[in-house]
Amino acid sequence: MDNVAERLRQDARDIEVSVSSELDDRIRASLESTVPEPPTPKAAPQRPPWFWWASSLTGVAAAIIVVVIANLQAPEPVVPANPAANPTAFLPPVSWKVETAVLTSPLEQEIEDLQSDLKKAEEALKKDIEAVF
Amino acid sequence: MSNEATLIEAAQNGSVAAFTNLVQAYREGLLRFLVTRTTSFADAEDALQETLINAYRYLHSYDARWRFSTWLYRIAINNAARQRSVATVELGELCDEEDDPLKHCIAASDRENLWLSARRLLNDEMYAAMWLRYVEDMSVNDISAVLERSVSWTKVNLLRGRRLLDAELNRAATESKSKAYG
Repeated sequence: MDNVAERLRQDARDIEVSVSSELDDRIRASLESTVPEPPTPKAAPQRPPWFWWASSLTGVAAAIIVVVIANLQAPEPVVPANPAANPTAFLPPVSWKVETAVLTSPLEQEIEDLQSDLKKAEEALKKDIEAVF
Repeated sequence: MSNEATLIEAAQNGSVAAFTNLVQAYREGLLRFLVTRTTSFADAEDALQETLINAYRYLHSYDARWRFSTWLYRIAINNAARQRSVATVELGELCDEEDDPLKHCIAASDRENLWLSARRLLNDEMYAAMWLRYVEDMSVNDISAVLERSVSWTKVNLLRGRRLLDAELNRAATESKSKAYG
């Protein structure tokens, strides 16, 4: 392939041209009558890299301010004047751990029995605590 | 500051003498290039004149990052293309013209000038790339700037051009051998 490069150089040298004095004069006369174009005003200077960060941060801050102002100016939620008739209907379901008391005697007797049971339970608990500590 | 840079600065300030000195070294090379790309020697001379006038007129737009010759050739290629479009002739068709200026300028030789083959075988831009590389010794980067093409495009087309011309040289060599042996 170097043969190609060498031949191209050699053959270009074989192209015999010269700028005649007539052409030289013509070019010189044309140049003398040509007025160079004034340089066009330069475009806006390139902004430094930090400019984009600054503008991004400014944009984010502006967005946050707009959201905050919009929330401050938002109307208060309207509370219904007449709440629902059954307020428990709005309570969440609670799983109560309860046992149903079966009443076999008059209520006063039952209360006395429950209180004595409670006392017994307290004493048992105290004993357990003393045994542990 | 180099001598060329000093001349460019003076020419930018309106000195015709500085500009004439600046382009003195490039005129013949430009004319040789333009002769291969125009339909007549007069067109090549007109294209050279236009190239130099445009270069002087728009010298302020010259970007010093590039070689001055790179910028001049960019203008010259545009002017040659304009001359050819006026004459409504494609580069490949020039070979068939009777008054082809290139044929008239080539020194008498027993073999075909490879630039005539190149003009027949290569397209317009590939031809220009080959000329800038092997005659003007421009770098691939400079050539891609002149042709306003990517560096990879330039490399690929230079390689293709070399292969085509290498094949042409081999073909011509085989033909001459077969003639010599009868």
